[in-house]
Amino acid sequence: MVPVQWYLLLAAAVFCIGLFGILTRRNALLFLMSVELMLNAANINLVAFSAYWGNVTGQTFSLFTMALAAAEVAVGIGIILVLYRNFGDIDVTLAKEMRW
Amino acid sequence: MTTKPRLKTGSHLLPGLAAVALFVVMAVTILQASFGDPQGFGPDTPITASIGYAMFNLDMGAVPGEGFLVAFIVIAVALDAALDGAILLAKREEEGSAVALLADGGRRVRDQLTGRSGETDADPDGEHDGGDR
Repeated sequence: MVPVQWYLLLAAAVFCIGLFGILTRRNALLFLMSVELMLNAANINLVAFSAYWGNVTGQTFSLFTMALAAAEVAVGIGIILVLYRNFGDIDVTLAKEMRW
Repeated sequence: MTTKPRLKTGSHLLPGLAAVALFVVMAVTILQASFGDPQGFGPDTPITASIGYAMFNLDMGAVPGEGFLVAFIVIAVALDAALDGAILLAKREEEGSAVALLADGGRRVRDQLTGRSGETDADPDGEHDGGDR
């Protein structure tokens, strides 16, 4: 079996790629993709430790995490639509105030 | 002339160094930590069936696991709420309604009241080239 360290290393890499995207990009759609990468890095950890302990809880929990990620994307895309409608752009640095 | 996708490098990538540094720290920590041998599931274990049983609190699975029935219901409600929220956000209001007046952030009402022309103050620099995003 593959040692659990490699799964953790993969998850850390995916998480840091997502963090890199969030820190360097200004496009809201790329923001959403980066957040998805970070969420799925957590899923890799859950599944890896599920196999490590021989227990199915981690895999079940990762299913729920994926459902929550889908809900988050639905709301996120709605917010991006409103952002575009109000600012004519989806640059996240344009929206500086909660109300204008 | 054809163009090909290029990697945009520049100073806007500098904050990303934090992410690279975090990866280095995590990698060093993970590789130095000691884990025992993984137990694994065994060759002929019905993992998918066990996940299904665990999801509905049925103690019939071959692999041990906790029950997730309450989480299942909560996620169902959350997905419902998210769907409604997304529709609410994406819905285009009809012209003339009170909500439509505020759909642009109230700019039109403000412009009418103050007599300003309809320019937006969202992008003072006028940078709409989509440059290095």
